[in-house]
Amino acid sequence: MVRSGDLNRYWIRSTDAMPSDVVIETGELTKTYGPVRAVAGLNLSVGAAQVFGFLGPNGAGKTTTIRLLLALQRPSSGSSRVFGLDSMSDSLEIHRRVGYLPGDLALYPRLTGAQHIEWFAGARGGANRADVGALVERFGVVTDRPVRDLSSGNRQKIGLVLAFMHRPELLILDEPTSGLDPLLQYEFERLARETVAEGRTVFLSSHDLDEVQRLADRVAIIKSGSLVATDTVDGLRRAAPRRVEVVLPGPAARTGFDSLVGVKVVACHDHRLALEVSGPIAPVLRAVADQDPVDVVIRHADLDELFLDFYRGPSTP
Amino acid sequence: MALYTLVIVALYPAFKHTTSLDKLATDNPAVAALLGVVGSLTSPGGWLNANIYEYFLPLVLLLSTVGYGAAALAGHDEDGTLGLVVSLPVRRATVVGEKALAMGIQAMAIAVAVAVCVELGRFFDVTAGVGHVLTVTLATVLLGLDYGLVALAVGAATGRRSTAIGAASALAAASYLVSSLAPVVAWIRPARFLSLFYWAVGNDQIANGVSLADYAVLLGVGIIALGVGALAFERLDLH
Repeated sequence: MVRSGDLNRYWIRSTDAMPSDVVIETGELTKTYGPVRAVAGLNLSVGAAQVFGFLGPNGAGKTTTIRLLLALQRPSSGSSRVFGLDSMSDSLEIHRRVGYLPGDLALYPRLTGAQHIEWFAGARGGANRADVGALVERFGVVTDRPVRDLSSGNRQKIGLVLAFMHRPELLILDEPTSGLDPLLQYEFERLARETVAEGRTVFLSSHDLDEVQRLADRVAIIKSGSLVATDTVDGLRRAAPRRVEVVLPGPAARTGFDSLVGVKVVACHDHRLALEVSGPIAPVLRAVADQDPVDVVIRHADLDELFLDFYRGPSTP
Repeated sequence: MALYTLVIVALYPAFKHTTSLDKLATDNPAVAALLGVVGSLTSPGGWLNANIYEYFLPLVLLLSTVGYGAAALAGHDEDGTLGLVVSLPVRRATVVGEKALAMGIQAMAIAVAVAVCVELGRFFDVTAGVGHVLTVTLATVLLGLDYGLVALAVGAATGRRSTAIGAASALAAASYLVSSLAPVVAWIRPARFLSLFYWAVGNDQIANGVSLADYAVLLGVGIIALGVGALAFERLDLH
């Protein structure tokens, strides 16, 4: 895992070994649009049979990376391989084995869901009718009305069917639950888990950090086109500072905490004190005990806190 | 377009003896050029040429083919639908070929309707030879396809529908002007060979027939535009 800047204390760390079957691998992948570097020397490795969460805010380079993997765009430099095949020269074989849901899904307004499914299945050389039917039923897809008459959520359901219907080895999904209601989001998560249980791989980019936290086996965080962290969600949380929240009987004071190694006072007002602890916890507990606390909560940061903390940090070079 | 063609051929008997109309064209080459008249305006061939083949049919075909060519790649990419299509196991060159084929079918549908209506003109004394009608119609289709494929190629190179429409339309307009003014403006005359209109309808093909050279130029330009479009599309970054 790689991380630079002041937040290195919890981002630079080598953790779990990569799974042996690498499905996606990029090497110094770069894409520029004039002076703008959308993807900047990205080195990414995604193992098989897992849900891999690809995180980053708008403009971080997630969608461009996905388009480079699928040869929808040409890299300025570097390489990307899917199933060990070159994204550009072997794109046809890759496309056969991948299901793709774009982030800004656009369908043909005058065609119905059924016509889309039929046409895409034909272009793929056919799809199992039972599989398609099961997906349509599972997501309650409206198949008999023109897409222009459907809500964005109903269009997204068609997109999910198009991505999953041929049982691809790898699913590349850009914001897959965008526009779906909570019940369908849950159904999508079940489907993703079932897919991984069958040995297939799900690569998803998402803004929904709760969803990624629930679903992803590993995550990568991209900032300004560069990979800045990749690990399991638990690994990231373990590596991050713990949050210690203390309620005191009297007015809270920083005294005694500022001098502790690896401790940062992030809030101190009224009777409440919040600490970020990246060093040993025992001295902190002793200092807290000296204050005769009313309540103490110690927890690892959630993914959204890590994400926000990370993005508020300094830019990577 | 078919209805318009029927009206034109049905009106022919009312004009075929109007010598003043013919005289207007023959005495005023500039007017004849502006009206797209080549030869006699009141002859069956001249009537069809001036009212259908010189201007109206090419215009309708160009609207169809340039519009389709610009939308086929650049337009669909701007709409966001093309990325999903290209993510299928289909070669980009195949996508370009199928788009060009669809453009051709669309243009042929218009042309066949016109040709049938022109042939119905024999009931109104419009006795242009069947062979010439069919070959000029085919040449006009090729003319439309050439500019449609130019639009497709520009769209494939730039990813912009408006640029594709603008470039192809400007080329077609310039080509039309050169072809129609060449008979009366001496310094433009040598440039008529650069105009695709000249090779399709601007050399009195309705009377003389379409030559192999005409076909070769029209086909050659189309093949080159298609090849350039396919190559450009291979390099286009899609959304």
